[in-house]
Amino acid sequence: MPARKHAKKIYEHFNKIVADPVLQIKRLKKTGSFRIIGWVPTDVPEELIHAAGALPIGIVALERQAVSLSTPHMQVWSCSLMRCALGMALEGSFDLLNGLIIPVICDTTRMVTGIWKQVKPYAFMDNFLLPKQVDRPSAKDYLIGEMGRLKARLEQFMDRTITASELCASIRLYNHNRSVMRKLFSLHTEHPELLSNRNMYNIIKSSMLMPKELHTNMIAELWQELEKKVDDNKSAGKKCHVRLLLSGKVWEPPVIMDIFDGLDIVSAGDDFCTGYRYIANDVPETGEPLRALAERQFNRLPIAAFAGKSGDRAKSIIKMVEETHAHGVLFVHLKYCEPENFDYPMLRDDLSAYGIPNCRIETEIDSLPGENYFEQIKAFIDSIGGVV
Amino acid sequence: MVVSPSFKTTSLFKQMMAEYHERGVAAKEKGIPVAWVTATFPVEIIYAAGLFPYYPENFGARIAAKKVADRISAAAEEKGYFPDLCAYARCGIGNAFSVERPAGEVLKPDVVFCSNAQCGSLQKWFEAAGRYYQVPFFLIDTPLIENTPTTLIKRYIVEQLHELLDFLELYTGNTFNFSRLAEVISLSNEACRLWNEILNMAALKPAPFGYFDACYHLAPIVAWRGTKWAVDYYKELKKELEERLDNNVYVISDERYKLYFDHIPVWPRLRWFSNLLMERKALAVASQYTHSWAWRFDLNRPLESLVKNYTEVFINRGYEYRLQQKIILMKEFKVDGFILFSNRSCKPKALGLYDKYQIISDRTGLPGVIFEADMSDERYFDEEYIKKLFAEFFDRLEHNSN
Ligand code: SF4
Ligand code: SF4
Repeated sequence: MPARKHAKKIYEHFNKIVADPVLQIKRLKKTGSFRIIGWVPTDVPEELIHAAGALPIGIVALERQAVSLSTPHMQVWSCSLMRCALGMALEGSFDLLNGLIIPVICDTTRMVTGIWKQVKPYAFMDNFLLPKQVDRPSAKDYLIGEMGRLKARLEQFMDRTITASELCASIRLYNHNRSVMRKLFSLHTEHPELLSNRNMYNIIKSSMLMPKELHTNMIAELWQELEKKVDDNKSAGKKCHVRLLLSGKVWEPPVIMDIFDGLDIVSAGDDFCTGYRYIANDVPETGEPLRALAERQFNRLPIAAFAGKSGDRAKSIIKMVEETHAHGVLFVHLKYCEPENFDYPMLRDDLSAYGIPNCRIETEIDSLPGENYFEQIKAFIDSIGGVV
Repeated sequence: MVVSPSFKTTSLFKQMMAEYHERGVAAKEKGIPVAWVTATFPVEIIYAAGLFPYYPENFGARIAAKKVADRISAAAEEKGYFPDLCAYARCGIGNAFSVERPAGEVLKPDVVFCSNAQCGSLQKWFEAAGRYYQVPFFLIDTPLIENTPTTLIKRYIVEQLHELLDFLELYTGNTFNFSRLAEVISLSNEACRLWNEILNMAALKPAPFGYFDACYHLAPIVAWRGTKWAVDYYKELKKELEERLDNNVYVISDERYKLYFDHIPVWPRLRWFSNLLMERKALAVASQYTHSWAWRFDLNRPLESLVKNYTEVFINRGYEYRLQQKIILMKEFKVDGFILFSNRSCKPKALGLYDKYQIISDRTGLPGVIFEADMSDERYFDEEYIKKLFAEFFDRLEHNSN
């Protein structure tokens, strides 16, 4: 099979997983008798779930028509991400899940657990209570304790203990998966003609929806195919792309990725929970594993949920812009996402003061695809000089 | 704005509020740092460290009560802050950018202290303020207590209080004064006790004092808790209420219904709501909001006790606990119905209310109503819709009591 065709097949596979998360859960259930535990974005230590013998599944692939189902239970002025997740649950999309972990990262996630437990309880439900201050020693002690609490609850639910070596093995598995995705990501930023925005981000998202072992194998296969193409492409004239850095909570709706691909824009990086941030750093493989998991948490790219880091977030974005030679920053903000809405004016001003062109688009999971985003993105890249 | 027949204490309130502001200005001039604090921050520690605490949330409520929240918010919105953020935050930020001062001057902070027990908005707002005013920002992170408080969370917060003490010692250059802390806590206890006794008077039928009065007289328990000022103020208010009882002066002399109101009031419509209820001889008598400050501190274990009170506050609790607390208050105050306010500004209070409405109805059999609005911003206030909703509610209330 010619290389390009094979790569396309693998992309299609990832795409299918992301496009129909409900079918994917059904498929997974058929493959074995393991338990599946869902997690809501972001920053839930999946390694712990895996080490407990369950399969972690991210509530990250969304069905926009489900948003309105949550209306009797949740105010329409809450973010459509949580409304959609709850709507999908109400629709029965997650009925095959054995459990769900919701991290408290904002007031909406803090409140949604109570509602969820009321209207659609699962056998195992947990609020993962991340510390919001991250700069003082108390935060680290607490987070290690909180990881320990979650571990104990999972052990009880799964009726088994998680040994240190099991947890270390899960950490290695997840680290490996992240590292191969990082390799692909840098290929994507160099060769978007081979690995488009949509395909790259489908790969990241699908990694949250399938066993990591399988995902890593598929990437290995894909890598082989792409490597050949990279060599072939070296001689061909490369198309010029605008490089943008992205910032926000999630890469939604995915139609924006298609707009990027259509306009020859490449995402050079991002701080999305469902994007580069998910793969950006690893868990240290030495030392006590719970401490190592906490270590990773504190080293992750800063996001709006954590205090004392918003200044750092601007610095972190500026650093990423410089490292990736991005031409500008596009904020992709979900309407009603308070943490992002609070951060935005400061980030905008910091970037502008630094001479980095930036623009914000406001999205909703269930907003109609399209023209609006296209016009705004097109206007932004035109303003920074178009395709360079 | 007076809700019940004019209280003498109201003029005392105005006078003391003006003096409070002047004291803040004077403190700043003398080099005493002004510390911004949030409503559920252990302010006793700040007093004991010799700083002057200031509550921007009170300022937000004042702007709202003066019906100018939309104008002040506009100044924040012009800078890119969004109208869907909490109006206190928008007004606090807007005030920094606005040229007009319809609700007076805010005291600019020298240091900013925040607890996120109430919400994440305060964390973001105060952090932004720290950056804007270029002053230190200190967060007491208070994880949600879903069921019973865990040792892990208690230990985390005690550890943070120690970090706070270290921070203050470094900031002020003085060793932290624990005997001063004990004095401040005693004053807080006294004010909280008086406040609780005052709130309980609303259980009498007819009552000399209701929830809307409590909202009006709330500022001292929030802002002056830990001082003699709060104690003196509530002694006066209580004395006046006792006189009213002696003289048979009530909010509604032929009071028919007692209602539970959840949670915060619509500040620019305090009187409007009070009248709306009064027309049907109904008095709002209790709310988790006004009861939030009915704290009791243990002088023998000051830090642990501060942790307990400030982290176990209802707004930092899980769904079922909050629900039960609402029902307990409804029972204690023998209410005939309940009002739930889905406040656009405040997700940590509003989200979940739709289902709670049904559960409360099922568990108590009481008639209720739930309405949408914003606590400050009248752009989200639809008078006709609310009137209609309440008319229908009152009919059910009447039907129920017959
Ligand atoms: S999108 Fe924003 S508001 Fe919604 S859950 Fe995520 S952080 Fe919270
Ligand atoms: S009104 Fe609600 S969101 Fe606003 S500061 Fe108070 S608790 Fe926070």
